[in-house]
Amino acid sequence: MLGWLPLVFYAAAAAAYIAHFGKRDPRVGRVASSLLAGGVLAHTFVIGMQTVQAGYAPLVGTTAAISAFVWLLGLAYLYVELTTDERTMGAFVTVLLAVLAVLPALHASDVEPRPELLRSPLFTLHVLSLLFAYASFALAFVLGVTYVLLFKEIKAKHLGFFYTRLPSLQVLDLMNGRAIIVGWLFLTCGLVVGGIWATQIHSSPDPHAQAMSVADPKILVALLCWGMYSFALFARRAIGWSGRRAAWLSAIGFVIVLLNFVPVGYFLTRSHNF
Amino acid sequence: MVRLLAVGVSHRTAPVELRECVDFAKDGVDAALAALAERAVAREIVVLSTCNRAEIYGVAETDTAADALGRFISEYHQVAHETLRPHLFVHRGAEAATHLFRVAAGLDSLVVGEPQILGQVKDAYAAASALKHTGALTNRLFSSAFTVGKRVRSETGLGEGAVSVSYAAISLAKKIFGDLTGLDVLILGAGEMAELTGVHLRAQHVKQLTIASRTLSTAQTLAKALNGRAVAWSSLSDALSAADIVVTATGAAEPVLTRARLEEVMRPRRSRPLFVIDIAVPRDVEASAGDLDQVFLYNIDDLRTIVQENLARRTAELQRADDIVREEVERFSAWMQSREVVPTLVALRQRFESIRQSELHRLESKLAGLPPEARARVDEITHLIVEKLLLTPTEQLKALSDESTVIAYADALNRLFSLVDEKSKSDGSQPQNVSS
Repeated sequence: MLGWLPLVFYAAAAAAYIAHFGKRDPRVGRVASSLLAGGVLAHTFVIGMQTVQAGYAPLVGTTAAISAFVWLLGLAYLYVELTTDERTMGAFVTVLLAVLAVLPALHASDVEPRPELLRSPLFTLHVLSLLFAYASFALAFVLGVTYVLLFKEIKAKHLGFFYTRLPSLQVLDLMNGRAIIVGWLFLTCGLVVGGIWATQIHSSPDPHAQAMSVADPKILVALLCWGMYSFALFARRAIGWSGRRAAWLSAIGFVIVLLNFVPVGYFLTRSHNF
Repeated sequence: MVRLLAVGVSHRTAPVELRECVDFAKDGVDAALAALAERAVAREIVVLSTCNRAEIYGVAETDTAADALGRFISEYHQVAHETLRPHLFVHRGAEAATHLFRVAAGLDSLVVGEPQILGQVKDAYAAASALKHTGALTNRLFSSAFTVGKRVRSETGLGEGAVSVSYAAISLAKKIFGDLTGLDVLILGAGEMAELTGVHLRAQHVKQLTIASRTLSTAQTLAKALNGRAVAWSSLSDALSAADIVVTATGAAEPVLTRARLEEVMRPRRSRPLFVIDIAVPRDVEASAGDLDQVFLYNIDDLRTIVQENLARRTAELQRADDIVREEVERFSAWMQSREVVPTLVALRQRFESIRQSELHRLESKLAGLPPEARARVDEITHLIVEKLLLTPTEQLKALSDESTVIAYADALNRLFSLVDEKSKSDGSQPQNVSS
């Protein structure tokens, strides 16, 4: 029962953010922010309860990882909203939260048992930094999408819906660039820690440990992801791919992230299917 | 009976020649307030004077005050009252509040939704308040008006969108670049239009204004006037690569900037956007240049279309703004009525209590023999009877919603229980609420 609470809050927040986006009533905006804060709080409580029950952080398995990702993204977005006083992105972010929160809500009661293999602080560090990286990439993706929408309106000389609601192209591009840098740093850190940890457990008889190789789909796609975002960083700095091109890159990158999360995480990987 | 009044002329009721004659700002609003206070027509006064309106908001006891305020306007400005009277509007009570709220929201303005009026209303109130001409009613009235203004601005799109060509261009630039202060602006041409645009952009504190013209000397003259720099036509390519915004306003018959030329300029810029504003007729920039990736090309007709669309959108928002005005007027009216009925209720309560006290006093000798507990009981029971008697009429009075009914009921109570004495005893500071 309790497990549904975050989803209910996120869905309500998404509805309120969309209403605020359309009508721009500041009171609705405040309601939306409060609902999201309520959702993150409820989610914190759910994760906390799971931690107490299981005796370890619920990071095992794709569902738990998605749950933690949603929680981190909610937190990261709330931080951005508080520091920039810019609520327009909320409509996009909370929809993503509400959609992704469905899976954890369905499986909230059962915390997956933690295999012997995962009882290492390196594992926790590995998962948390990657999830935070993905949360940053999600924000970059949302910023990229809104950039393209606004760009198209200005270019087509048809100033309307997005023109009156979004911040300037320059600001969207700048924030996109920053989100990519933060995400890339955490992605790199997460991958390096994962690599170190994989060599440590290499002697373990666990089939997961044996499957830890670059050929495993999950690891392969994660490296592809790193390559993608490294290129995005390089392209922005060295060949001036900012604006629309950067927006497209962050969209492609995030599609890879999602791909790695759901289909690869659930069905394909042999090393990460805990 | 106190009355809220709004008397004056506005662009809706009077032609500009007449409005010019009754402009309070000429000698200062303070002088007008002082002169009006001397006449003692109304006890709370606020004078609102803008180029589109001259209005007096007042709180008075008599209904003739409206006429007196109208006369004051004509006499103060030495305009024949016969000339002014047909153009005067008079609003009373809730209507006066509606009028002020519409004014504050920009609904009564010449350009609907213009934002300056709210500031002017605030100034008018501040001036009256500083000279102690405001009171409980005007304080509440104006603070509600500010609320309306703020709500209309934040909850509707009424004040949104540029309604002039130059402002439309600047708001576009802001949507592309965010802050304009670090930008390089290049102006092609040194004519009147070029100068006008330059002045607008200079006001936005752009980093650098560069003027290029076929004849260097005219460019130099304009550059001097705009505090910018002039470049020769031959070094146009360099100026183009450095620029973030290009304004073209030459009198050339053929396009000055072709697509090929801009393509060349854009290549080394990578993704840095270029905003080209072509305000020349015939056009200075080849239309197909707008297809280039990071080039945002707007010509004078595009900008005019935006202005038209914004005006149409403002009209569409009117209904929502009207709803906000109505909501706040209802709230204000409810407050005004509760204010009217409260003194009557207080007086009625005091009358009943004084009857109870005097009866107890009269029976003092008979009650003297009772033990203290029994005396306390008598006191309690009589008090309860009074409370019970008052309960229903109090509830009924508070539930009234119609202004004239409230006045009629209050009046009836005042007469039936001759409450005038009670009230003057209870609040000497507050003027009479009774019309007898």
